[in-house]
Amino acid sequence: MRRRKFQIMGIYAGAILVVLVMGFPLYWMVKTSIEPPTTLFSPPYSYFPTTFSIENYRLLLFETYFLTFLKNSLIVGFFCTLITAVVSTLAGYGLTRFEFRGKKLIARGTLFSYMFPELMLGIPLYIIFDSLGLRNSYVGLVLAHASIGIPLGTWTMWQYFQIVPKSFEEAAWISGASRMKTLRQVVLPIAAPGIIAVSTFAFAFSWNDYTYAKIFQDDILMFTITTGINSFVERTAVHWGLIQAGSTLVTIPTLIIIIFLQKQLIESMAIGALK
Amino acid sequence: MKRLWKFVISHVSVEKFWILSTIGPVIALLLAIGFIPMGYAIWLSFHSRDAFSPTVDYVGLQNYITLFTNPKFLASLGRSLQYTIVSVIFQTLMGLGIALLFVRPFRGQLFARTVVFLPYLLPTAVVGLIFSWLLSTQYGVVNQLLSQLGLIKFPITFLDGLKSAMYVVVGSGSWKFGMFCTIMFIARLQAIPKSLYEAAQISGAGAFRCFLDVTLPHLKSTLLLIVLLRGIWMFNKFDMIWILTKGGPLRATEILPIFSYRLAFEERSFGLAAAASVVILLILAITATFYFWYFKPGKEVEVE
Repeated sequence: MRRRKFQIMGIYAGAILVVLVMGFPLYWMVKTSIEPPTTLFSPPYSYFPTTFSIENYRLLLFETYFLTFLKNSLIVGFFCTLITAVVSTLAGYGLTRFEFRGKKLIARGTLFSYMFPELMLGIPLYIIFDSLGLRNSYVGLVLAHASIGIPLGTWTMWQYFQIVPKSFEEAAWISGASRMKTLRQVVLPIAAPGIIAVSTFAFAFSWNDYTYAKIFQDDILMFTITTGINSFVERTAVHWGLIQAGSTLVTIPTLIIIIFLQKQLIESMAIGALK
Repeated sequence: MKRLWKFVISHVSVEKFWILSTIGPVIALLLAIGFIPMGYAIWLSFHSRDAFSPTVDYVGLQNYITLFTNPKFLASLGRSLQYTIVSVIFQTLMGLGIALLFVRPFRGQLFARTVVFLPYLLPTAVVGLIFSWLLSTQYGVVNQLLSQLGLIKFPITFLDGLKSAMYVVVGSGSWKFGMFCTIMFIARLQAIPKSLYEAAQISGAGAFRCFLDVTLPHLKSTLLLIVLLRGIWMFNKFDMIWILTKGGPLRATEILPIFSYRLAFEERSFGLAAAASVVILLILAITATFYFWYFKPGKEVEVE
């Protein structure tokens, strides 16, 4: 019995230590962001917030392009998610419901494209986009982000449709429904959890991307949140207050997602690994 | 138009039409934004295309020869391997440790898990900036804490130190990517039937024996998958290091993707840069093939 107690205490001590070490950078980010910008460059700092100020946030929202960055990230993220979800769902359906040659090739192709170095796509795409006038456009960035999401999405939906039994569809056909109708009313509702998982990580990829946004966009009005927040690091001055405030704002939606979708997150990670 | 449609309908069966419209888009997109650009990169790697020459000329293997006779390239290749191997080992152990700690329910588990999962879903660029601020020589709170504890007399130049920079990029990366391993391990650990542990305890096994005989064998396939994926992704990692150090100081953290980026977008030698990226892919492809052949990482990555 005593041994069991020790074990539980050990787990708590370990968990507290882990939370402190892992949580401190986040705590420090928030703490920095809610203090007046003047205290930033006058160490030593106190470890707890002493004076509260929303000045960093006011500057961020009204004196910088932060809202434009946010808008760009949301637009690109939305279309990347849409394309990835539609294309992957169709592919997953086709790959499990029809017989044709070359399935193995497609499987290998999708797995192989997991390995593509970002720069190996970034360099040729930069040249191609440059000549097509797609740099500093939403289209180029959406396509580049979709190239990360689609292989994984296809793979995930392929696996997922294998679990969805064909018998439901066959029952619908027998009762006279067309394939299109079956697809809409029988298959899609069953496949919904898979589609949600694919959409989540398609959006996460796009939201997370820095490399492609950095390579393709050099007009500050086309920056995304990642390249945008990083633009507060200037040659002459680093605006730490703005950076920490921007980072905090980016963290909030993520935090909400984790709290509400923790279980699904763990499960969807088990289906298809996030990058 | 109507005629064409009639022709299509009469010559393509319904089945074929469905195959085409479901598989068509994914193949078209994978070709357009995956395999064709990749082919173009390979083609580029045999040509000279840079800011100095207006024409694109075939140069054979010259780009590869230039790279492999350049000590800076070889050094960055070495650093890439070092960065990847150390990162993967560190992240896997860290991920496993935290997963084992967090898998059984305890009070405050939701809070603890949220704090630990959050870094993984934060954009890498944000993670890089958070650590730049924490570790700043002049304004960093880590230096302040260390000196208040009496551990150091002078602030450590974490990001500008020739030796420390590599530790910093590995450590900051692990803060985020180690949590990928944690989540994957937790997902697997939760799936191990409890009855196995009970059986082991009845036959007198202690906690450590249970771990060796029950937990580890169940984790094997996840472990192999994690090492493979993290290995590939860390070898390709660009954003984390670029934000923290830009490959500096004095190239101390310049791994292959940074080297390739510099060639392409700072020196505008697209041919050479493409060759460097082909080298990255070749190393990955060869290592991954060997890995599959040797370890056969279980059903998770099997092709039906």
